[in-house]
Amino acid sequence: MTPDTSDMLILAGAVSADALGETLGKLALDKPDATEPAGFELLDSFDQAVRKSGAVLIDSGGTLHLMQPGGVVKSQAAKRRGNYVADLADGPVKDALSFVSDLRTLQVVGRGTLQQSFAAAKDDEEKTHARVRFSTLAPAGGGEEITLVSLQPLRGYEKSFEALGSRVQTVADGPELKARDLYARLFPETHDFDPKPTVAMSGDETAFQAAIDIIRAFLDVARRTEAGVIADYDTEYLHDYRVALRKIRSVISLFKGVFSDEETARLKETFSDLMAPTGRLRDLDVYLLERDTYFDLVPPAMHDGLTAMFDMFAKERNAAQRAIARRLGSADYAKQMQKLQAQFADPKKLKRGPQADRPAHDYACALIWKRYRKVCKIARSIDDQTPDEEVHELRISCKKLRYLMEFFAPLFPAKDIKGLIKPLKVLQDNLGLFNDYSVQQESLQDFLDQKAGRGRKQDLVIARSIGALIAVLHQRQLKERSRVVASFAQFDSAETQDAFRALFKET
Amino acid sequence: MRIIACYSNKGGVGKTATSVNLAYAAAQAGLRTLICDLDPQGASGFYFRIKPSKKLVEDKFFKDEARFIKSIRGSDFDMLDVLPANMTFRDFDIFLSRMKNSQSRLKKALKAVDNDYDLILLDCAPNISTLSESVFKAADGIIVPVIPTTLSERTLEQLLDFFKEHKLDRKKLAPFFSMVQASKKLHTETMERLGTEYSKMFLNTPLPFSTDVEKMGVHRAPVGTYASNRPVGKAYAALWDEIQDRFGLKAGK
Repeated sequence: MTPDTSDMLILAGAVSADALGETLGKLALDKPDATEPAGFELLDSFDQAVRKSGAVLIDSGGTLHLMQPGGVVKSQAAKRRGNYVADLADGPVKDALSFVSDLRTLQVVGRGTLQQSFAAAKDDEEKTHARVRFSTLAPAGGGEEITLVSLQPLRGYEKSFEALGSRVQTVADGPELKARDLYARLFPETHDFDPKPTVAMSGDETAFQAAIDIIRAFLDVARRTEAGVIADYDTEYLHDYRVALRKIRSVISLFKGVFSDEETARLKETFSDLMAPTGRLRDLDVYLLERDTYFDLVPPAMHDGLTAMFDMFAKERNAAQRAIARRLGSADYAKQMQKLQAQFADPKKLKRGPQADRPAHDYACALIWKRYRKVCKIARSIDDQTPDEEVHELRISCKKLRYLMEFFAPLFPAKDIKGLIKPLKVLQDNLGLFNDYSVQQESLQDFLDQKAGRGRKQDLVIARSIGALIAVLHQRQLKERSRVVASFAQFDSAETQDAFRALFKET
Repeated sequence: MRIIACYSNKGGVGKTATSVNLAYAAAQAGLRTLICDLDPQGASGFYFRIKPSKKLVEDKFFKDEARFIKSIRGSDFDMLDVLPANMTFRDFDIFLSRMKNSQSRLKKALKAVDNDYDLILLDCAPNISTLSESVFKAADGIIVPVIPTTLSERTLEQLLDFFKEHKLDRKKLAPFFSMVQASKKLHTETMERLGTEYSKMFLNTPLPFSTDVEKMGVHRAPVGTYASNRPVGKAYAALWDEIQDRFGLKAGK
């Protein structure tokens, strides 16, 4: 019912409805009283899902306002049980925010003062033809004031809507701003942020430069997650932290010959050592996130043991979180990270390997083609009787291939890369589940051996539940194993083979 | 999309007020709603301050889909649009009689906005005509305001006879008592008699006679915007709930 022409404009400076004047052609501009200035908090998830959607989410005076790209403004009471979207009261803002990951909390991006003013263009019957709302945000810090203009058309009054839009343009102070620039303008100390950045490549850089650029970008991601890990806002900060470090480690180990052997070994160790202490906390986070799934896997009679086990996990998780928070908050850690950042900011001192000066594109083709051939070689040797170790090896090789393709994606046509990653992802999902079920069985067995083997009364209950759980996980693992041959067959199509050859094989 | 008509073969029974207030209630409940004014007097458009359509004239309503769509106007309320009438609508019977498949023509015209709305509410003119027959065919439900007086009782019986003669589905009919004055003995007695005779058919909520409804002409807005807590405001809300239940109207369906 809202025509596509509706719009949200972002203007520099403070603009209010008063500036529009009294009339719009034959229409009167009716202006109800502006709101009193009130404090606001700009909210978003850590991955800035709201900003990426082109919307702006504001909490002010007990009300949440979501200004959407269509000029639509949704509002509801801001009262909430927690910071996840699921914790909001049922209402239009909650409905509209369904695209925000349910694992991520909404956090305050910045604060300031909000003032809203309104105008409605009305005809001689006092019928509204179009509405406009000005929301002026004055940030508390060193940022610049901006005004969000939500223009709302009404069906059948398109001309009035256009006239109102043009009037708004004439009172605008300077050019219209882009939604993606909004955060940087309001809060210069925060940046537009993506925990999974695509590192731009021109095609002219060397393999060494490409490696440095990627590592620098992910070091930055890791550093930005630290505050959220320490504050324990949600589990995804640590997850993003670990993914960033893992990507760096992958660049170091996969980009063979870019650094000297000695440098490669040193860097690998450094980043492995950074990641290692966080492994247990991430495992525990995953268990606790999957809690409901585990309960669904075994009959209710076995639930008591699971409850006891998860209570132990929760306790251990809190202790692990505190330890990681202490670690990431320590002066030693900060010093180490600053040193690493300095090394990659000015990489002259990093020792280069024989491939360092090769053009990135050639280098990428060689690496990806080799890795692809390896994946095919392992996969083609797998049948239903092959030992699990081989399957694990295939999984790891697929992962390396995926990483390489993603790192170098900017050097190739996006459509081609997307077309190859899609079938690879199907294969990886299968292998990933196979691995997850296997790892889960092992770690449950470890838990049983270490934590629930002390002869206490509850240990027996826990042991029974874990036994049941392991049996189910084993069945699932077998099921995934049985799909591997078929999964690879779908990946190994003549089309995919040709596409890999065309993109990456040197002629 | 579901189609609900507000219809009575007798004038002055509160038909337009019912259409306007139910359409408002539907939009408030989250249904994308279009109120389509079929009455050439254009009263429902007036209540929403919308001027009569100038270009949707003569048989364009049935023949010019683009013009039909262009004539729809957004009301001042979210989720609620209006297709205003004009005086040429009084000749709908003549246009329809000239067309083939005249009884399915209305439904065909409304199909043009099938995807835009969850509910189309037809505000009908008070007569039994070719147009009304189209309405009876097109509508999933027909709300019939009945003032509990002898004359209204007679027109309801005429309507039921008409449905019987023309083999129309009487289950579509949902009469309710309109402009009820509890102090009038005639009203209470008629309600009791009709309520027993047509117990399954009648909606339970009676709509009281109220100056709040008459004031719609002054406010030029639905009762829910200025008297939602008054008895008649609550009655419209209750009536909407019943209609929603009877015809399975829920947001997002």
